[in-house]
Amino acid sequence: MNGEIFNPNPTVFALSKRSGRKSKFETGRSLWIDNEGPLEQTDDSEVESIDQDEIFDLIRSIADPEHPNSLEELRVVSAEQIDVGQNHVTIEFTPTVPHCGMSTLIGLSIRVRLLRSLPQRFKVDIKVKPGSHQSELAVNKQLNDKERVAAALENPALVETLEKCLETAGMQSELYD
Amino acid sequence: MESVERSVRSWLASGKDTELDETVSGIINGQITLVDVVKALGQYLTSEEDELRSKGVDFLSSVLGKCPLDKLNRQAVRVLVAFHCSKLEDTETITPALKGLAFLVKFPPVEPSDASDILSALFKHVKMKALVQSTRFFVFSIIDTLLVKHIKALRDMGREFLDGYVGLAEGEKDPRNLLLAFAIARVLLTQFDISHKTDDLFDITFCYFPITFRPPPGDPYGISAEDLKKALSACLSATPLFGRLGIPVFLEKLTAGSPTTKRDTLQTMTQCLPVYGAPVARDFGRKIWSSLKLEILQPIDPQTESEALSTLQVFVRTIQGSEASSGEVAGLAKDICEECIAVLREPEKAQAKAAMKVLCAFVTVSPTLSQFAISQATQHLVSLFHNPDEVPSRPAVIILLSDLVHATRDASSTAPTPPSRMDNATTDHVPLQPSKDDLLGVFTVGLKTPSTVESALRALQGMVTTTGLFTDEEFGFIVHAVDELIQGDNVEDISDNALSLLSAISTTAPHHVADQILPLFFSSLPDRAPVKEAQDERAAYWRALSALSTLCVHPALFEIFVVRLTTKLDLLSGSLSGPGQGSELETVPAYAHSILTAISKTLAAKVEKKDADVPKYVDRLLPWLFKLFINASLVKAASLLLDPRLLQVAGRIISLVVETLPLERQQRFTELLFGAYLKGDVQAITDGLLRIPSDTPFHPLNSDATTPQRYTVVLFSAAVVSLRKEITLPVENLGTFLELITMWSDSREAAQTQREAAWHILASVVNKHTEEPGISSFLTARLDVYWLTALGNRDATADTRRHSISLWAWITKALLVRSHPISSQFVDRFFELLGDDAVDWDAARAIGGLGSGDIVLTKRNFAVVKVLHAQKFFNMVLPRILEGAKVCDGSRQETAYLVALASLIDSVPKATYRTEMSSLMPLLLRALDLPDPTIRASIIATLTGTLKDVTSDSTTVSSYASTLVLAMLKNCMLADSPEPRVRTAALRYLSLLPGTVRYDLLHPYKSQVLKELAKVLDDPKRAVRKEAVYARTNWFKYNG
Repeated sequence: MNGEIFNPNPTVFALSKRSGRKSKFETGRSLWIDNEGPLEQTDDSEVESIDQDEIFDLIRSIADPEHPNSLEELRVVSAEQIDVGQNHVTIEFTPTVPHCGMSTLIGLSIRVRLLRSLPQRFKVDIKVKPGSHQSELAVNKQLNDKERVAAALENPALVETLEKCLETAGMQSELYD
Repeated sequence: MESVERSVRSWLASGKDTELDETVSGIINGQITLVDVVKALGQYLTSEEDELRSKGVDFLSSVLGKCPLDKLNRQAVRVLVAFHCSKLEDTETITPALKGLAFLVKFPPVEPSDASDILSALFKHVKMKALVQSTRFFVFSIIDTLLVKHIKALRDMGREFLDGYVGLAEGEKDPRNLLLAFAIARVLLTQFDISHKTDDLFDITFCYFPITFRPPPGDPYGISAEDLKKALSACLSATPLFGRLGIPVFLEKLTAGSPTTKRDTLQTMTQCLPVYGAPVARDFGRKIWSSLKLEILQPIDPQTESEALSTLQVFVRTIQGSEASSGEVAGLAKDICEECIAVLREPEKAQAKAAMKVLCAFVTVSPTLSQFAISQATQHLVSLFHNPDEVPSRPAVIILLSDLVHATRDASSTAPTPPSRMDNATTDHVPLQPSKDDLLGVFTVGLKTPSTVESALRALQGMVTTTGLFTDEEFGFIVHAVDELIQGDNVEDISDNALSLLSAISTTAPHHVADQILPLFFSSLPDRAPVKEAQDERAAYWRALSALSTLCVHPALFEIFVVRLTTKLDLLSGSLSGPGQGSELETVPAYAHSILTAISKTLAAKVEKKDADVPKYVDRLLPWLFKLFINASLVKAASLLLDPRLLQVAGRIISLVVETLPLERQQRFTELLFGAYLKGDVQAITDGLLRIPSDTPFHPLNSDATTPQRYTVVLFSAAVVSLRKEITLPVENLGTFLELITMWSDSREAAQTQREAAWHILASVVNKHTEEPGISSFLTARLDVYWLTALGNRDATADTRRHSISLWAWITKALLVRSHPISSQFVDRFFELLGDDAVDWDAARAIGGLGSGDIVLTKRNFAVVKVLHAQKFFNMVLPRILEGAKVCDGSRQETAYLVALASLIDSVPKATYRTEMSSLMPLLLRALDLPDPTIRASIIATLTGTLKDVTSDSTTVSSYASTLVLAMLKNCMLADSPEPRVRTAALRYLSLLPGTVRYDLLHPYKSQVLKELAKVLDDPKRAVRKEAVYARTNWFKYNG
């Protein structure tokens, strides 16, 4: 990328804590403090549905195309900006500056990450936070139009940049294991 | 003489080394002289025919190469030097002549005059560009040898030598030659007067910077880019004369280079700057700083950033060099500080963090600079913090200050204690001292707002761990501030940062924590267990207990902790010793369990730290524990206290204390212990706390013992397991004692926990006292009698036999870990059971389990553990298992062998079977079809282990790759494997395949894998989905 840098000095935020899910002991399903690993204590028949935190985990560590920081560190994405329905996910993201030319790329990297990591039954809507970008409509249109996304993914140079952003996407989860 | 001629002739024809060897051995034993060789070669050396002439010289050179160094006299050397030099003129003979010279210069009779003659001839006749690599190599090695042996002669040659050498070395490209050339250049640069040739030498070294060489695959010479880099940077940093020429090159590479080049340049600069010296560094100061600034304030990656920071440190140290003594910071260093502080005006921005890194880097450079940087930065940030307009940036300010505090602490702890300086010796001992009050003010204010509290705690942690910074009074003040903080909301919600701050304080000033903090937590522990529905209260007491257990590691605090918690349990035991009713059945023991767990956690941390106060709890804690449980066991009805979980955690506490006791103290304790459990003397072990009525005697090991009493054996077992092997157990005959334990564990009333406790006793005693009287007869009785009545007895119920198998396995293991010869007889019996339909799988699993580690037979528990015992065991049983599993007739027995194999592989270390993988693979794949999820999971884990292991060859995996992919896909589907564990394992395996197997082998499966994995993304288990995402991502990236 030899183009201009849109935001040379972004604000970096501390990482948020791990998700707010509670252990069995805390939710009162067991009276005993468990020492076993996370897998043993879950009941085999119990269904854990996909929630906000899980989707946030998927996208929080995607790298920003401009800086060596993750999207979470720059508060481009946050758990609160994710809405999960039965078969429908809405994700809102906030570009660091309103004139950020990377917004479409960021949105696209989120889209590709979810395309690969969410079951197909989900319909995913990705939007720029209202009022946070000067060409909000155009970006939203590009990100949610199937044809346009497909066309973008035909472009090898673009895909290469995307892969670079996605390289770090799995890192958060390994870090916490 | 004739033999030489014959050798020469036949060598010229055949080129065989034997002819050479013959001639050389002739020279060694004195039959022939080199003159003879020259004579024999005579006609060839002057032959008209190019090839013959070349070969003639080559023969002579090769003989020289093999000739011992003492076989040439001065005369011969002179002749040979002259001869070889004359052959340099001839393009046909130049290669062998150079080869000959390369050998010749190593002979001791070579004199300085010869050296200069050789060099002159080289400079005159050798045109490097016309020669191949191997010939050029001879030239470099001639010069290298001469430099070692005749450096003075070379120095005397002066200009001629340097000019000549530069001419030869120019344009060299081969890495093998360059390694030599760099070594030579380093000597020239450091030991020769090069002032008039600096430019040329600069050209023949700096032109290689940065090294971009990549060794070709399968490079036989084994030269890495790293070797070259090291050799080259030794040249670049050889002389201060390169300074003015070199720094512009570095700066250019730094701006234009790729990340690797940048890092390389930064590393080289770090090495060169101190050599180039302060004047040069100062002249280029601004330029260097502006380049480094770019790498630090707008870093491309963290590694480059940290390289740039260390270069900056060296740079500043270099320019400071002479100024350091003046005690004042001026010039560039000062400007850099001020520039960074200007960046700090926007503390929440990314660059502020980087600027703080620069300042932190300055802290280690010199005391004056450190003092300056710290005071400037704190002054600025503290005033920013107190500025009412800048309240939103407070969190960022605290984070920045916290970074500074930590860096200062680390710098002063790593640096050697500064010698007492002449000037102001007292104040600058601790660099943070002057800013201490300001910082403390900021951080305590920070504790009052939620957005800053965590980083303020971290910052304070950095301050309290700085040695010598705070007085006792100030520690009290900080503890008070934290106290106010946690008073504000729920005490139990104390954050990890607050806890670790308090823990850090407790190591130096425990009384403040004891006075101000502990009472808060103790008072939040309820006296009675919360009712079943009150989950919040339960979570609250557990958080309080965890916090206490983290805080009370210091001896003084631990003492209070133990007293308070045991009192709490005594209060509880009123409701515990009774039968209990309703919800109390679970809530009360669960609360007691939490309390005991908290004690055992702290105790474990203390044992890990080797605290000296642990042994004394044999008198303070253990009698009370025994009293609690033995008392409960005397009641007829089952007591709530005798829950296996409670007993186990109590056992853990006993083990932890007993293992720290010295030998003599352990012996005394053992007497009391056995007195209680074998003779019913509970008064001694409980230190008089418990007297029992005569109508309810305590005899837990009797065959008619009540169930509550039987349960207390868990505590007995925990103590026995941690005894040293030198302890004499106070029993008449060890064999009889073990027989008693065996019978006791086989009793039909025994519960699983009790049995396990008994097995641990058996294993531990057999292992530690094998040689003592009674044991060998006990072991023989196992093989002769017990085998027939228990394990091998087909009339017994399968359950009974299963218990006996476990018991047998524990005894076998005790023998195996000390590599006792009789162990093989015990192992044999398991193999006999593999044909027995009722227990074959249990026996198979037991075989596998024998190789695994456990918590009883460990060094920590003073067990006798021989090295490589697992390896020996593996080598003993693997051939038998392979033999049995090969039958492949689908019989039960064959399956049993597969089970044995799967569990064996799971339990032994990877190294033991690495070499066997190719023969194991087909069997493991067959075993993967077994329905048992445990077995499948362990096989997949094994396969994953070998896949991760880089040293094992990947050919085995590659040849089974397609089968493996399909098997794993099957195992990760919900429909085929209901156990999440198996699915997770299979997915993890799939995720690793793309990194190991060549793409073309798995290419046909890519789309299928992606499609199947898409289904797994909808798995009901979160952990499974996570692995599926990871695996699928890896397969997406898998490309040719």
